[in-house]
Amino acid sequence: MLNFDEIFVTRNWFGKPVRRNADTRFVKGEGSYTDDLQMDCVYAGYVRSPHPHARLGKIDTSKAEALKGVLAVMTGPEVAAVTQPVGARAITRPARQHVMATGKVRYVGEPVAIVVAEDRYTLEDALDLVEVDYEPLPVVVEIDDAMKEGAPLVFEEAGSNVLLHDTLTHGDIEGAFGQADLVVKEQFRVQRYSSTPLETWAIIAKHDKGTDSYVVWANDQQPGRSIVNISNALGIPVNKLRLIVPDSGGGFGIKLAIWPYIVSQCLVSRKVDKPVKWIQTRREHLLTGTHTPDCIVDLELALKKDGKVLGLRMRDRQNDGSFVHTAGIYNLIKFANIVGCYDIKATQAEMMSIVTNKAPTVQNRGVGKPVMIFTLERLMHRAALQLGLDPAEIRLRNFVQPEQMPHTTPSGEIYESGNYPECLRKALAQVGYKEVKGQQEALRKQGTYVGIGLSASIEPGSSNLGYYYTSRGTPEYMGNAEGAIVSMDYDGNVNVLLGSVEEGQGHQTAVSQVVADMLAITPSNVTMNSQMDSLVSPFLGHSGCYANRFNDVDMGAVIMATKKVRDKLLKIAAHKLGVPAGELRLRDGAVCSAKDEGKSVSFKDVATLAYKQILLLPQGMEPGLKEVAYYKNEIAKLPNKENFNVQMTHGNSLHAVVVEVDVETGMIRFRKYVIVHDCGRQINPAIVDGMAIGSTVHGIGAVLLEEFIYDENGQILTTSFVDYMKPLAVGLPRFELSHVESPCPTSLLGTKAVGEGGAIGSLAAIANAVEDALAPFGVKVTSLPITPEKVLRAIRETKVI
Amino acid sequence: MHKISLKINGKDYQDEVEPRLLLVHYLRDKAHLTGTHVGCDTGNCGACTIFLNGKPIKSCNMLAVQANGAELTTIEGLAKGGLHPIQEAFLDKFGIQCGYCTPGMVISALALLQSNPKPTEEEIREAIEGNICMCTGYQQIVDSIAHAAHLMGQSRS
Repeated sequence: MLNFDEIFVTRNWFGKPVRRNADTRFVKGEGSYTDDLQMDCVYAGYVRSPHPHARLGKIDTSKAEALKGVLAVMTGPEVAAVTQPVGARAITRPARQHVMATGKVRYVGEPVAIVVAEDRYTLEDALDLVEVDYEPLPVVVEIDDAMKEGAPLVFEEAGSNVLLHDTLTHGDIEGAFGQADLVVKEQFRVQRYSSTPLETWAIIAKHDKGTDSYVVWANDQQPGRSIVNISNALGIPVNKLRLIVPDSGGGFGIKLAIWPYIVSQCLVSRKVDKPVKWIQTRREHLLTGTHTPDCIVDLELALKKDGKVLGLRMRDRQNDGSFVHTAGIYNLIKFANIVGCYDIKATQAEMMSIVTNKAPTVQNRGVGKPVMIFTLERLMHRAALQLGLDPAEIRLRNFVQPEQMPHTTPSGEIYESGNYPECLRKALAQVGYKEVKGQQEALRKQGTYVGIGLSASIEPGSSNLGYYYTSRGTPEYMGNAEGAIVSMDYDGNVNVLLGSVEEGQGHQTAVSQVVADMLAITPSNVTMNSQMDSLVSPFLGHSGCYANRFNDVDMGAVIMATKKVRDKLLKIAAHKLGVPAGELRLRDGAVCSAKDEGKSVSFKDVATLAYKQILLLPQGMEPGLKEVAYYKNEIAKLPNKENFNVQMTHGNSLHAVVVEVDVETGMIRFRKYVIVHDCGRQINPAIVDGMAIGSTVHGIGAVLLEEFIYDENGQILTTSFVDYMKPLAVGLPRFELSHVESPCPTSLLGTKAVGEGGAIGSLAAIANAVEDALAPFGVKVTSLPITPEKVLRAIRETKVI
Repeated sequence: MHKISLKINGKDYQDEVEPRLLLVHYLRDKAHLTGTHVGCDTGNCGACTIFLNGKPIKSCNMLAVQANGAELTTIEGLAKGGLHPIQEAFLDKFGIQCGYCTPGMVISALALLQSNPKPTEEEIREAIEGNICMCTGYQQIVDSIAHAAHLMGQSRS
């Protein structure tokens, strides 16, 4: 592995809050999102099921087809007849599903037919003219109902609604509970929510008749895998599909599940022989997911009197709705992170992925970790109180200590770095922990209920893909990696192409900072193509933007490709100047002799040799200054149940929150919000700050506001931002953010996961603060979201939120 | 079909449109001004915010025919070459992530600063309450607008 000091020639840009000049187009309204592309498109849309569960009868498309301006209609069964089913990953029971409904519908909003029309408005008219016969079936909505004997089956061929059921034990769990002085347990319920990117899903599909191939523009988050899935579903060679990802208006995982829609868009574009555009409406986005799964988690901690946690037992039942591709994944990620920041020696997890007539789920920001940390940190709070310990103290007694790193958890996750006690101590000082505690009683006497809550959370990154196949033989994907092409142009400027995409994280700026310091130039000399294009970008099956992997494998690929360019640059310069390469230095866009600065050749002149005056190159050297590199994180091992290493970098954060609960209205107001965050070295601290705060607000939405609500008939009631409430600028605290830096020894730059952390740690911190504030009323928080209505009911009657 | 004529960013437009055509679709699909975005369809998110006769409105909640005779300013019309100080401020203070809410945020910020050149943090937060950002958690946007107020104050003095 390249040493940190070998990577950089200068340190002018790395670690600095360099302005995102590459994104100036966004402030000018000149971004290039999929719906902005100026093409002569026709419009597609979906007829969607109003029933949560029904046999699909006759679909009469004649009236729609007769409408002027309608170009094509394809029904779900017609699409299913010419496509391969959707592949499952984590589940172990058979469940067959296609990209559109066939045979029956399984959730409200499932696509039943696709219509293409000349404009958006004719399309809406035509969608209303498709007549579908449904024979309603008994509906299964909630987890408990889905598990009952004789419950209606979402997938009959599975023989059960529980598609994954496994129990994984690591360490001496019986011994841990046998030796415990105290067992603390609780059942927690966490609702369905979503990060709802502001730009909905968007696709343009264009079939080329001459070559019988497709070009697709879509805001897809994992194009490397989508290319595989789409070509498999269509039964076409990979080289008949070109996928381009333009600017994307936020992702957060939600755009990992676009590919089934791309399949049907390709089919209709072939039919009408024109570029076809589909822009998902917000209603469609909220109605059909994708959501996080709602879940019921039973958690038990076995503790000694001194607060030391000996073991942890979990029963995790999650409602994965009706998408076989994702079902079970959240269970496995929760399990992989079951011990959080703590040195716990024994764990047992029973996990169940349950399908129902709710909408599909997909990997939303944090994937399972928000729930895992929420439940664990809620119980740590409870355990402290029961043992007469301070909630801060019990954490300090259980943390994995910095000197224990690298630390392997019972299930096989390797924490390579981190200083959890330091993060906590810093947060306590910043939030004024003792002062707040000291004021609580006096404030209560005045009718002001103030509470303080802590949460220590792990923030992993770089998924070791394949963990979800653990139950089913050799994984199709393993490890994690990315590809990059770096080229020096004729004029000495640098271009970068990545296989991954971005959804607003400022990758272009971060890459330009690193490359600039590797070549002693400025970020303005470096351009990164913001579009992933499978025709030219160096992609792998892993390529995409997910799992906090950018500053590990993406940067790794960029660094290795830049290093190759730099090595070649030096060789050519050495030949030209007659100076050994080892005596050369890079300075201000030129290569010069360290001993005699008069001996110098500009990058532009080296590029001239490489691209044009090729007869003057060193003997046997290939022309050109363009290099490709693929970089994989080396610590990944083939995951299995005994050695379940699922993530390869581990950031962490400590949230300390002070809230005030109005016991008359049930409203919760933030008085102070402190985040101490450790993502190792930072490429651009201002970008890191934005992601740490932004992800925390996602968590605040989940704790206080957001819930996809279904009635007992399986109808979803929250299909606009009126019913599904997002955090607004008013009502949020001013976040006080600080950092601890524990460089990651296993990534090239010492960087580690950043981006999901706040969405993981905030849930428990706020819930702990609310429970603390309401302690005089004996109110316990066991479910989310904590709405004013639930707060009032708990204070007045139930004592449980 | 209805005839409409309107002025967008100082340029005259005349068209025949369906009465049900939303103003935001007119801007995006007919006038090809794609900086104005659609995020929710229900007037909640503010990604489609523009100026109509000097006042900020949500262009997804208005029909194109209702804008007949109006003067509109969209994000594309904010700066004549270069960047408006608010646009500079959003770059300086990292008020952007994915950029999708940004045009609406910038318009709402300008509407605020035109009527209140020295807003408090609370006033800034209230002014953008009709604009949803899913990425930033708003803090760097609030800081951007405060910085813009400073920059615009400097250029006045």
